[in-house]
Amino acid sequence: MSRRVAQIVCAVFGVLMFLLFFSGHPTAKAITLAITTQYWQVIAAFALIVGAVSFVRVNVKAIQRRQDIPFRAIGLLGMISMPVLAIGWGIGGSSPFLWVFENIQAPMQSTVFALLAFFVASASLRGFRARSIPAAILLVSAVVMLLSRSWFESTTSSFLLTASDWLRNYPSMAARRAILIGIGLGSLTTSLRLIVGIERTWLGGSR
Amino acid sequence: MKKLESRHWAFLGLAIVVIGTMLLNLEPDLDVSPDTIRMHAFIDSLPAGSIILVSFDHEASALPEIKPLATAFLRHAFGKGLRPVGIALMAEGTAVGYRLMEQVAAEYHKQYGIDYAFLGYQPQYIAAILSLGESVKQTFPRDYVGHPYDSLPLLREVHKLSDFGAVISIADGNMVTHWVEYGRARFNVTVAAFVTAVMVTSYDPYVSSGQLRAMVGGLRGAAEYEKLIGIGGAGRRGMLAQAASHLYVLALILVGNVIYFTTRSRKGRG
Amino acid sequence: MDFGTIIAGLLTLAILTFLYRDNPIYKLAEYLLVGVAVGYALVIAWKSAMVDLLFTPLFGQGDWSLLLPLILGLMMFGRFHARTSFISRVPLAVLIGSGAGAAVPAMLGPRILTQVSGSVTPLVGTDGLPNWSGLIVIVGVLSTLAYFFFSREHRGSLGVASKVGTWFLMIFFGTTFGYTVMSRMSTFIGRAEFLLTDFLHLTR
Repeated sequence: MSRRVAQIVCAVFGVLMFLLFFSGHPTAKAITLAITTQYWQVIAAFALIVGAVSFVRVNVKAIQRRQDIPFRAIGLLGMISMPVLAIGWGIGGSSPFLWVFENIQAPMQSTVFALLAFFVASASLRGFRARSIPAAILLVSAVVMLLSRSWFESTTSSFLLTASDWLRNYPSMAARRAILIGIGLGSLTTSLRLIVGIERTWLGGSR
Repeated sequence: MKKLESRHWAFLGLAIVVIGTMLLNLEPDLDVSPDTIRMHAFIDSLPAGSIILVSFDHEASALPEIKPLATAFLRHAFGKGLRPVGIALMAEGTAVGYRLMEQVAAEYHKQYGIDYAFLGYQPQYIAAILSLGESVKQTFPRDYVGHPYDSLPLLREVHKLSDFGAVISIADGNMVTHWVEYGRARFNVTVAAFVTAVMVTSYDPYVSSGQLRAMVGGLRGAAEYEKLIGIGGAGRRGMLAQAASHLYVLALILVGNVIYFTTRSRKGRG
Repeated sequence: MDFGTIIAGLLTLAILTFLYRDNPIYKLAEYLLVGVAVGYALVIAWKSAMVDLLFTPLFGQGDWSLLLPLILGLMMFGRFHARTSFISRVPLAVLIGSGAGAAVPAMLGPRILTQVSGSVTPLVGTDGLPNWSGLIVIVGVLSTLAYFFFSREHRGSLGVASKVGTWFLMIFFGTTFGYTVMSRMSTFIGRAEFLLTDFLHLTR
């Protein structure tokens, strides 16, 4: 029963959003605004809360099972401290909330990404081999791109710059364009299948 | 202590190359690419006083690339007398955008609510773009710190997406795609983007088709933009290390291939 | 040096210890990061969507049209238990249906049609010379699409086309790899600059 109701709701909202695209009438605009701000945004925010609560539940369960207690505890402490700081001192300019973001979250998060620089270097040594013609094409294209962005004024070979810009703007762009068109066709058919109820995997279990 | 493996030596080499070149404190001059020239000319072409929407569509992980790009762009925008309204379509872009706009606006003695504003974040990006197209006020009834929309004089001049002179997305993912496919296509607003280098090739088709007005990518793009506006920054400071790290990766590729072909020919003979 | 810089510097070094191997210091920093990031996202979403779009207009201004979105949102909490998870299908249906409905015109127009029309350029310029680059784009788009066409076996002319498509894809992957290297190096350079300048004061 709930599956049938959900399918009908999905189809109604899908058809409605599709039809609203073609209308400039003030009523159509008002409905679009209501769906996007009142329904879409609000439900998405509730989904975020579900995610945060799940994070707490997973960690509390792990602590109860005595798994990684100090790590789980510090994770929970970090999670709980942010709302507490926001409620206590706000989220503006000199708030502790922003301080934690700028001095704890942002430095760590960007450093986690910086680790990738090292793994890229290691992969270049161990995995980037001209084993076949396509692999050689990939390698040459990457080398031209990197070399062209490694020199400074008047020392860069104009041939290298021209070659790298041409590679990016024509053959590389053409392949990316085909991928975009392919993804577009896939998204289009998936959206239509969702609206008409052929695609039902998102409904999950049988109840 | 664990024995060091080949990857550890590759890591160590990279650290030495980057830190070593940074300690030299050199800022060599560099060529400016056509991409950066196009973006600079586009921002320059906007009349002084234009209200532009600046969307911080990135996570904190991309800050080392995004911050120099956004700073250079905001300096250009404030210096030219444009009036940016900031939003974020990714949660972490909110704090970054708010702080950056506050800092750069202070450099140019701009006043909050009159010369710039920051509206904050909405969680569902496509919904946010579609609702901005109909009403900015109903999408963001209050700004980031809680001022009602109508209490800020700057915001009283804009009602919907098409009232903005342009949308500038500062992004590390595929949010620019949504600005182009939902914002530009439906509400006819000009979209330009400052993106991380890794996203550059993904957006080339949109630049080629004219859907994306201009695009600048990566720390190199930031360095070039800094050169064009004549104000140095993190982009230019990092360029020598950037070039050295590229050459280091190229050397590793070369070494890897030499080892591969040597081993293969030995096996072939064996 | 302010306290924030010391904390940021120490946490940066804690994350970098992973380069040697996984260790408790890295793990502690990792868990702290995940926790703080979840808390941060929760606060920002709560303020912007729940307070500004739901609670203030509903309870402050008496906009009762928001009662239904509130009920739908609360139905998401059904996911907390296996027995009640089925009730979250309805709010999910709103999200999925709206997204699919909005995506159809967006995919059809600005994605597929504009990208196809962007590929169709005159093959002979106004000066009478062939437009080789335009030809490369057309061949590249068609051959790459042929590579992704799996409804027929890749033999004969389709096999040739898909092979040419592979070469175009390799050029794309190569340029993307080049830009990925640039991006990752920039990220490390940014962190190295913070450590050398703000934390250790070794550079200007």
